Amino acid sequence: MKRYLNLYLHFLRFSFSKAMEFRLDFTFRIVMDILYYAVNIMFFKVIFLHTPLVAGWTQEQMMIFVSCYLLVDAIGMTVFSSNMWWLPHHINKGELDYHLIRPVSPLFFLSLKEFSANSFMNLIIASGIMTYALSTYSQTFSIWEVVLLIALILNGTLIYYCCQMLMILPVFWTQSSKGFMDLFFSMGIAMERPDKIYKGWLRVVFTILLPFALIASFPARLFIEKFHWPTFLHLMSVTIGLWMVMLFVWKKGLRVYSSASS
Amino acid sequence: MIQVKHLRKTFTSHVKEPGLKGSFKSLFSREVRTKDALKSVNLEINPGEIIGLIGANGAGKTTLIKILSGIVHPSSGEATVMGYVPWERSNEYRRQMALIMGQKNQVWWDLPALDSFLLLKEIYQIPQAQYKYNIEFLAETLMIKDQLKTQVRKLSLGERMKVELMAALLHNPKVIFLDEPTIGLDISAQKAVRVFLRQYQTEFKPITILTSHYMEDIKELCPRVVIIKEGQFVYDGSLSNIQSMMGDEKVLSVTTQDKTFKVSIPRHELSSKTHQIFEENDVLDLNIQDPSIEDVIESIMRNGVRPT
Repeated sequence: MKRYLNLYLHFLRFSFSKAMEFRLDFTFRIVMDILYYAVNIMFFKVIFLHTPLVAGWTQEQMMIFVSCYLLVDAIGMTVFSSNMWWLPHHINKGELDYHLIRPVSPLFFLSLKEFSANSFMNLIIASGIMTYALSTYSQTFSIWEVVLLIALILNGTLIYYCCQMLMILPVFWTQSSKGFMDLFFSMGIAMERPDKIYKGWLRVVFTILLPFALIASFPARLFIEKFHWPTFLHLMSVTIGLWMVMLFVWKKGLRVYSSASS
Repeated sequence: MIQVKHLRKTFTSHVKEPGLKGSFKSLFSREVRTKDALKSVNLEINPGEIIGLIGANGAGKTTLIKILSGIVHPSSGEATVMGYVPWERSNEYRRQMALIMGQKNQVWWDLPALDSFLLLKEIYQIPQAQYKYNIEFLAETLMIKDQLKTQVRKLSLGERMKVELMAALLHNPKVIFLDEPTIGLDISAQKAVRVFLRQYQTEFKPITILTSHYMEDIKELCPRVVIIKEGQFVYDGSLSNIQSMMGDEKVLSVTTQDKTFKVSIPRHELSSKTHQIFEENDVLDLNIQDPSIEDVIESIMRNGVRPT
């Protein structure tokens, strides 16, 4: 465990020293990111001009939810996105080879080695938005509820990662260039809507099969409405199930990996 | 100790006709072609031994190495390396094994080599003393001390290969797979790599499998060679024996007014054939030799083994 932590510190060091070299890119990214956050917040602000409640939530409650998914997105962007971008490429070009021979989990290596130091600002802005949403929230809450909220957001990030991996891993069989990444990004919007809007079979899809609604909406709901065991257990069991399915597909994929020759 | 029994690997691929029309057709019906990269091969390598694996492109050299290093699963058959089944990829096995591919990079491109080495130190849990000694030893014998703090992408091809070798050997592997380590290098860099490999072999005595298209590499490093042709071993034995396999052949190098050519001729036809050549050509120079190792190997790769 300590070893993996040390390795991750190396990854961080590498990516920061790399990022410093490209200053223009750095500033450009920050402008883009601020725009992205502004658009997301505006979207809900506009809706609340017309109605006092959306999916049972008031505007300040909605802000908490929005800050949840922005934080998940920011963590995903910084920690995983570069790695996910390159993974299909590595698989197709046979560049998994050197990762498979190391006495370290190749999944760990391939998922985390490229830390996007460039997107680090996202993390700061998103945390800022969350702090703002919590500080202007009119209901009382304890520090433990905040701790739980953050833990569940990290759990949401894990779900986000697993969903994305499940869209990428078919590359082992299809040898296509991106897997179903486009599908992932278009469906990813499902995480940016409160789960209450999904009814019937759509609810089954988004809370169990491809649990986008569990990423940010469930954590926000457990915070806003009072803690609810069934919701919490649902969240945990789907996370564990999803993680195991992802590992299973990964192992199957490695079996058919044919390592395009040099 | 490496033991390989009836190891087979089959790859499948689609056949697509060229052009858009072909792509469209392949949407509906696909012809699947299977290719046997390895057809039931057997091999045994003793501790401390270094063998040369020779074969044309696509003969199955790299496939064998990828199976033995645990990257690719075989279709059937067995293999153990020091008692481990490679494709189970246990950490104990991976900690004692090294793979170097002349055409794929393992060091971080944008960073100085020393940074990559630090990461490897962490990955392989190399103790500080051993790490220091190895960096010293490797950098010295490869004569690359001064380049270790330069970004790897700014190094020359030869320097990069040396860095790759260092990276692969930092953890003192007991089994080493070298897939064309000298490819694309100039003569002096090739030589440096060879000298280094021999020194390393004497100092640490690992099991080594080396593939190369350069016969010099094989001649200098490998007392034993395995020749692979279309997924099958056609020769497994000592390098010095190879020449005697064609003991009854002689090679004639002939120079005439307008061309130079080589013919190999069974010994008993030597005088009649030579006579014929003299009659048919205006011969300026003629040389009768035993076939060189290169000639023999080329002929084995083309025609398989001939009974002596």
